[in-house]
Amino acid sequence: MGVATLFKLMGLEWRKLKQSMIMIELAIYLLVMLFLPTFFVKTVNPDFGKSFDSFFVLMQSIQMGWVLFGASLINQVFIEEYKNKTIFLSFTYPLSRQKLFLAKVLLISLLVILATIVSFLLSGIATYVLDGMFSIFTWQLTSSDITTYLGGMIVRSVIITLISFIPLFTFGILEKAVVPAVICSIASMQLPNFSPMFNIDPNHVIAVLCILGALSLTLSLMTAERVGDI
Amino acid sequence: MDYVVRTNRLAKKVKGHEIVSNINLRIKKGEIYGFLGQNGAGKTTIMKMLTGITLPSSGEIELFGQRLTAKLKNTLKRVGSIIEYPIFFEHLKALENLKIHCEYLGFYDEHAIKEALDMVHLKGVEDKLVKDFSLGMKQRLGIARAMITKPELLILDEPTNGLDPIGIKDIRDLIRMLNKEYGITFLLSSHILGEMEQIVDRIGVMNHGRLLNEVTMAEIRKQRTDYIELVTTDVQKTVYLLENELQISNMKIIQGNTIRIYDLSISQIDISKMLALHDIGIEEILKHTSSLEDYYYEQIHGGGNVV
Repeated sequence: MGVATLFKLMGLEWRKLKQSMIMIELAIYLLVMLFLPTFFVKTVNPDFGKSFDSFFVLMQSIQMGWVLFGASLINQVFIEEYKNKTIFLSFTYPLSRQKLFLAKVLLISLLVILATIVSFLLSGIATYVLDGMFSIFTWQLTSSDITTYLGGMIVRSVIITLISFIPLFTFGILEKAVVPAVICSIASMQLPNFSPMFNIDPNHVIAVLCILGALSLTLSLMTAERVGDI
Repeated sequence: MDYVVRTNRLAKKVKGHEIVSNINLRIKKGEIYGFLGQNGAGKTTIMKMLTGITLPSSGEIELFGQRLTAKLKNTLKRVGSIIEYPIFFEHLKALENLKIHCEYLGFYDEHAIKEALDMVHLKGVEDKLVKDFSLGMKQRLGIARAMITKPELLILDEPTNGLDPIGIKDIRDLIRMLNKEYGITFLLSSHILGEMEQIVDRIGVMNHGRLLNEVTMAEIRKQRTDYIELVTTDVQKTVYLLENELQISNMKIIQGNTIRIYDLSISQIDISKMLALHDIGIEEILKHTSSLEDYYYEQIHGGGNVV
């Protein structure tokens, strides 16, 4: 299948969605993300503001919230389509379910990764501006910090996108259940925050979550022709 | 023989239970084929397998002489369908729904969309949200969508469902027109046997997941046995008079007081006149024509042959 066909299928998937709802959700998320880092440093834990490194740990942790956006998209792109039976309409078209599912997951990936990158950028800029106004941080931003921030942003966006697929196979395709999918996403994004309490390195938890996301994604595509049949 | 649909030992199992077994269906090009069967007989399941909605557990499907499998679905470009009820993206406008459908099929002709809407008498609805449509309107829109791309095979499951009598006639006329003018082959299912009788060329009777019999309407009409059913105040005297006055011998008495006359050379009027002359009271006189309904009833309750 050509790239052009795939883009066309992704475009069709996008046109089928309740776009206004997604845009509203996106705007709310972005708005919250703009002020959340400053809010944390000022009111929850000032230690996050002591250095760029600690601030960036906070920023990466906050951006994990986009995993939930992924769950919302799984709900619209898969679960609602099964519940409204519109997915069966897609099955009557001359394309395999694997291609159909591939277009769906690529659209979700694209939306989550773009949203996360935009959020990283806007949150970073907003925090910088707020620091200028209220002197939140004691350190000065260097060009090396900016490079680290941008590099980390790309890596973390990919990680978040992968983790957001954890509920896809089990709750999105097999069970077609919205609430468990959302709970699964909340648990996935919170696990790295709680792992130090059990003396587990958060990075190890994130690595496992990425593997789970990739596994869910692979299973969804590999079994597309059989699983989720009626 | 030029078959549009051909299945070979088609079967579908759901949770270990076989809901459709050993279906060997043959639908000829240009034919209007009707599926008859009670709820749960397996009609919709077969239609779902023919349209790629669900995959067979075993057996083969050939559409236009080419295999239909999970990976080989290209022939579905030549098929239009409505299965169970028309499904739409309700939050989208009618036109957007139709455009998306066309794009999935690689068909780009705005004029064809308008033409299809006109055919089902849906004008000026392009910018209306589908969620605001009545069931009848959705059914018409579904039929419009199924035929926009001028498919060679239209599979319509209960196409008149939710339509008023005028709408039912419109759809019947439309099916006939598409069949005659465009040569479109149809696979229909309906619970309204009278409806089917008026439109189909051949029927397949389904029962408990099996295709019992396939027969043309012409054959049913040839096989039918018409008779006059007569209930009078004096059965014995009536039989005597029918034999001697009208020379009718092909008749029988059923349930004690009802006479069935199979000799239709004598009209109901002549029989009535003769009995009135002899002071025999007529309680009921009715000409009975065996129909698709009788054939269907016989198949379901009389145990038809499995095809």
